[in-house]
Parts: sequence; structure tokens; C-alpha cells
Amino acid sequence: MATIKAEQMSSTNPGAGPSLSRRLTSALSQAGLLRLALLLIGAVLVFVLCVVPFLNLFFKIAFFGDRFSLEIFSDLTQVKAVRTATLNTLKVALTITIASVGVAVPLAWLLTRWDFPFASKFRSYLCLPYAIPPYVGAIAWIFLANPMTGLLNHLLGASVLNIYSFTGLVFVETCFLYTFVLIASLASLDRMDSSLEEAARLSGASPLRVFRDITLPLLKPTLIGSSLLVFLAAVASFGVPALIGGPARLYLLTTQIYTYQRMGSMSGLLRAAALSIWLMVAALVLMIAAHYISTRKTLQTVGGKTARPSNFELGRLKTPLVILVCLFLGVVFILPIFGVLLSSLSQTQGELGLSNLTLSNWHRILFEVSETPRALSNSLIAAAAAATLASVVAMFVAYVQVKTKIRGRALFEIFASLPYATPGTVVALALIMTFSISFLGVIPSLYNTLALIIVAYFVKYLSFSVRTVGDGYRQIDDVLAEAARMSGANGRQTMMTIWLPLLMPALVASWFLVFMPALSEMTMTLLLTGPGLETIGTLTFQLQEYADASGGGASVLAIIVVFAVIVINTLVKRLSRGKFGL
Amino acid sequence: MSDVTFSHVAKSFGQLGGKLALSAAKAVDDFNLQIAQGEFVSFLGPSGCGKTTSLRMLAGLERNTEGVISIGDEIVSDASRGVFVPPERRRVGMVFQSYAVWPHMTVFENVAYPLKIARVAKSEIQSRVAEMLKVVELSGLEARMPSQLSGGQQQRVALARGLVMQPKVLLLDEPLSNLDAKLREKMRHDIREIQQRLKLTVVYVTHDQIEATTMSDRMVIMRAGKIIQVGTPAEIRSSPNDAFVADFIR
Repeated sequence: MATIKAEQMSSTNPGAGPSLSRRLTSALSQAGLLRLALLLIGAVLVFVLCVVPFLNLFFKIAFFGDRFSLEIFSDLTQVKAVRTATLNTLKVALTITIASVGVAVPLAWLLTRWDFPFASKFRSYLCLPYAIPPYVGAIAWIFLANPMTGLLNHLLGASVLNIYSFTGLVFVETCFLYTFVLIASLASLDRMDSSLEEAARLSGASPLRVFRDITLPLLKPTLIGSSLLVFLAAVASFGVPALIGGPARLYLLTTQIYTYQRMGSMSGLLRAAALSIWLMVAALVLMIAAHYISTRKTLQTVGGKTARPSNFELGRLKTPLVILVCLFLGVVFILPIFGVLLSSLSQTQGELGLSNLTLSNWHRILFEVSETPRALSNSLIAAAAAATLASVVAMFVAYVQVKTKIRGRALFEIFASLPYATPGTVVALALIMTFSISFLGVIPSLYNTLALIIVAYFVKYLSFSVRTVGDGYRQIDDVLAEAARMSGANGRQTMMTIWLPLLMPALVASWFLVFMPALSEMTMTLLLTGPGLETIGTLTFQLQEYADASGGGASVLAIIVVFAVIVINTLVKRLSRGKFGL
Repeated sequence: MSDVTFSHVAKSFGQLGGKLALSAAKAVDDFNLQIAQGEFVSFLGPSGCGKTTSLRMLAGLERNTEGVISIGDEIVSDASRGVFVPPERRRVGMVFQSYAVWPHMTVFENVAYPLKIARVAKSEIQSRVAEMLKVVELSGLEARMPSQLSGGQQQRVALARGLVMQPKVLLLDEPLSNLDAKLREKMRHDIREIQQRLKLTVVYVTHDQIEATTMSDRMVIMRAGKIIQVGTPAEIRSSPNDAFVADFIR
């Protein structure tokens, strides 16, 4: 899976080089006209799709009423619902962040510094929730712990657990978002020069002391960076707050924006837009802060890893700790997956017993509900199209980024990562406001078309592709291409015979990294969808919210999503020999 | 005061080589050695010969799978009886190849750390650190961060940190391999001089035969996990056990 580090906003221009025109000419001769034209098209595409919608969103609001004014933003602060939503968002996101760090750091330490059995297996299982859309968890926990018919409440004999609550919301989101901190911490702990900690042991420090004095301080930049990303993801999250927060009457900024937009009135749309900008600015500030902190001070040490770092011995604590980690894995991952499966097979939700098992939900959803085939094909088409488009564009963007010295090339990647940093709700709204009118008479209105959904997936996940393909380029030494040129191959032949084959693994990984989240995307699609435009995500939402009276229908789709994610993840891991995938 | 004894020490890595794990693959095999108090002993051999593993077993960073290791009167590891003293309780100083100077602590904090762990009084920490920094010629740099130091200076910080708790043995794992040639020569001389002055017991791991011959009282030549020859540099030079030793020492 893609590293969740902030984008590489690489430092611009190392010193003054030759003049721009000289560089351009050399780039021209080096790249050839055709390639340059393609690069230019790529640049324009990235700019128009990733940047223009947000500028448009801002100016539409700021110039509403014919003159520049920020009144609408200050008006917003007077609305009670907005104030409540802001406060709720902050509370929820902060709690999730603290819980995620609290869970992930001990796990990461245990799995990298102690003789924990089957550590590598546990690592991949514990990271797996990263790839699964959190709304699956919401569906599962609603089945397991809703106050009326929740299975666990049934088993406990009383209405003990209530998932429709602040705690419930925080719990379900933490079950997924802790993986951000875990993945980053594991990577950081693996990279850490193990002799730093060994030196502390030889100075007489106990394992706990080594952790406190050495490991934790060295891990601090990683922790700050990744917890900011958790905070950001919690602020941007939509599926879980919509499914769980709604019944709990707990509204967050994203669900409030959705409500305003669904009102359909101009004032509602304006309010949604203004709120979006407020959310986007907050998100961008956080993203830049995360990037700045995680790259500012990479503590420099002389390399020289010992091949086999010595791990602490758990001794008698081994069995209890293994049980504890298994329990944790059971609660955050296995129980909900099992819950969704059981829900999809239940005649009556929450009942237990063999007689309650049925395949009727599966039959209904797969063969009777007329939206299902449409939703499946729409999702497959949109995800595949976005993945293909993103990988092709990334080939150019990453090439400029890694293999040329063109001035301003860093901007490219910043542009590409802007939509990634922006909450999905806001991306969707910006795209609606930009592409629902005919664009300069050239492009027809894209409102209520699958094309706009594809554009949304493309811009949202482009940065995954750019990063993955960029890594691919970095691993290919320029001399390989130069050797091809010396053997008589021209530019195009070099591209086809050297670059493309060597880049193939990265391109395949990039394709799947976009395809996977796009296949089950819910947040943006809910705003962009229209009649006949169901996707797996929106159909799941509809079924869960109102359309499936007997219940269990959403669970059928959720199981399909989980299955697809696990298959694709395994495939990617195999194909990339462990480099990508969890 | 103290001497170090290895008797029939061996180390095998259980899961070496994945599926085709050879349980017989031993990184170190039948390692026997006695080191006298105040002696400077080098482990010399090509990379992968087991010299670093032997050193790490003495430090307690690796656990020997066979044999007994003792420091002074204390048995620190006895594989057959399951005795194992963890590294933090062995009072062994160590200088790593990468120096392992903590980047988030000042020079003073780095050197003072072992004393802080041992709960030595503040005033005593001050004086002992100052004294140690004088020995390694770093006086005046107490407040510096490691990133402001040269490689050679970081090396000296690591040395001071290893010495400040008055360890029973000082272990050095290829400490000079990251330094340039000129500095390496000076450090060779300085380390030997400090060892003689403080009468330290030192185990020094290197693959550089010049370092080993110029610094040590005795050398242990290793290959493929086994000791090939033990002796003073002069002995080994005049009568090498076999062609491998003769070639390696030349």
C-alpha cells in the first residue's frame, strides 16, 4: 500500500543553473517534440482537473453578488448548526487521533523490538484494515451493536452497547485509522539504526527505559506526521459519520455539507460550498504541517545497520501478550468481518440460530434488485478508467519530476496531491460547480454523468500513481536508457524497449492502488451520483440507510468489497514481490 | 580484576535461509578463549567470519546457543542451564561501527546517560563526564549536538560514553572503518594509549590486519565461524598456522 507520508514537495532548484531558455532547448533536444507535446498536455490536464475546480469554488463564493466579499464565510459562523458541526468534528477527530496513537505505538514497538511470535504475519493482518473502506466497519458494527437489534446486545441479554453514540463513532473510525500510525511507525522503526538502542542497553537501560529515552524521541517526527494524517482523515471522513452519526444526531462538517447540498436550493449549495472551503483550508494547513514536520528534521546518523537487531525477550509475558494482540485483532477486524458475513446471511437482523440463516439476501441483491448490475458495472468501469488515466498521466508527471531538471517541476506533484489532501466532499462539490455548466462551450456539462465520477476518482487518487511511478523511475538508472541509445535505438524505441518494460511493475501497482479505493468509493460518489449512476458505494449507502427494509442487503455488498480488496491486495503483493500491498 | 572466558561457545541461527533452513548452519562454532584483565585482544577475519557475532554474544546482544561465557567471576551466559544476563546488567561498554551517538541528545547528555541510568548524583556526573571528555579530547564541546560534530568527534563521544561507567570490558566493533585514513591512524594510537593508561580490558573487532597488529596484545584469527589461530602479532607473523592466516596477515 502506498506510504501515507505527505507528498514530497521537493525543495526547488538547487542553486542557479543555466538560463531557462538554455534549459528549455536542451530539454527540447533531449525529449523530442512529440514527448514535449505530451508532457504539456499532461501538465494542462493536471492543472485543469486538480487545481481549477478549487479556485473556481473559491471565486464563485467570494464573488457571489458581483463583488468580492468574504461575508458568506463570516455569516457561516453565526449558524448554530455549523458551529456545532465544527465543534463535533474537532472533538471526534482529536479523540480518534489520540486513540490511534495509543493503540498503534505499543503495537509497533511490540512487533519490531520484541521476540513476538509470527511478527510478520501479525504485521500484515494488523495493517489490513488500511485497505478496507471504513463504511464496511460501520455496517458491521450497526449489525453487531445497535441498541435495538444488535447481535452482541442480543447475546448479552440487554441493550448494553450503543453504536449510535460519540463513543461508537470514535471506536469504529479508530479501528481503521490506527493503521495510518501503525504503518508509518513500523516503517520508521525498521529503518532506525538498531545500534542506537543497543548502545542504550549497554549503558544499563532497561527495555522500557530504552523506549522512553531513545526510541520514542527518535520516533517523534513520524508520530506527529502520521497523527496529523489521522486527524485529517477523521475530519474528512464521511461514510462512518453518515451511517453512525446520523442516528446519533451527531453531525460533523462533512455530513453537514452533504445535508446542505442535498437541500437542492441555491442557498443550500452556497452554504455547502462556503463550508467546504473552510474545511479545505483547515485540511491543507494540516497537510502542509504534517509534511513540514515529518521532513524537517530527519535526524542524521551515520549508517551501518547490524544485520540482525537483537530483540528483547518477552519471557513469561509472551503468551498473555499474544492473546491480547489476538483479541485486539479479533475485535477490530475479524469480528466486524464475521458480523457483515452473518448479517448478509440473516433472515432477521440480530437473530441468532441456524433457522435464521438464509441466502435470500444474496439472491435479492444479486438477482432481484435492478440497481445491482448497474452499480457493479459502473464501479468497475469508473475505477478502471480512473486507474488507467491516472497511471498514464503519472508516467509523464513522474518523468518530469524524477528525470528532468525543468524549473517548477515540483509544482506538478503539489498540484496532483492537492485533491488528495482535500476532503472528498469538497472535491466533489468543486467538481460539480466547475463542470456542471458547459466549459467554454468546448466540454459539455458533465453533471450527472459517469465521466464526472471518473474525473473525481482520477484527481483524488492521482497522487498515489505519481508517487508509485516516481519510485519506479527512481529505480531505473539513466545509463540503461543511454546504453540503448548507444546501441542505436531512437527515443521512441528506447521508451518502448527500455523504460516501459522496466517501469511495468510500478505501473501495475499504480493501477491497482487507484482501482482499489475507487471501486468502493462512497463519499464523493454520493454527491456526484444521479439516476442510473449507482456505484457499489452509493448502493451500499442507500440499502443501509433506507432502501432495504429487511436488512442485510448492504452487508452483501460490503462482503463483496472486502473480498475484492483482499484479492487485489494479495495480487499486488505477489506481483510486486512484497514491495506494495499490506 | 576481571577476565573474560568463552568456553565452547556456539551460535546457530534457527531460521537461517528460510525454507531450506540448515539447523547445522553455525555463525560461530566451538569458540574458546580466555582474555586476561588489562589485555587488548583483536578478533580479525574476513566479513561473515563470526567475529562480530562473538563480540555481540559477549555484550549480550546475541544469545549463544551453546557454551558458557563469563566476565570476571560472573557467568553471564550458560546456554545449557538457561542462564542469561541481559546486556544492561553486564557492565560492558561498547563502541559501534556507526558510533550510535544519539542524535537528540547533546554531547554531555550522551556521555552522561549511563551514569544517569545508574542514578549517580548530579555533581558526580558533572565531574566524571568532564573528566572523560578530557580523556577523549572533547572538552568544551559539551553543549554541541551530534549533527554539529565530525565523524571523528562522534567516534570520541561514543568512546567516552562507553568508558564513563568504568566497564569491566570495553568492546569495539570496527570503530574506525568510517574514518578517513589519516584520522584512523591517530585514533589507533589514541585508543591504544587510553587503554594502556586506564588499564582497560578491550575486545576489538576488525577486518583490517594493520589495526589488529599495531594495537593488540593478542589476535584471534577467525574464518567461517571458527578460530584458526590465537597469538601475539609477532607469533602469528612468524609462524602462521596455515596458508589462510599467512595470506590474511601479510
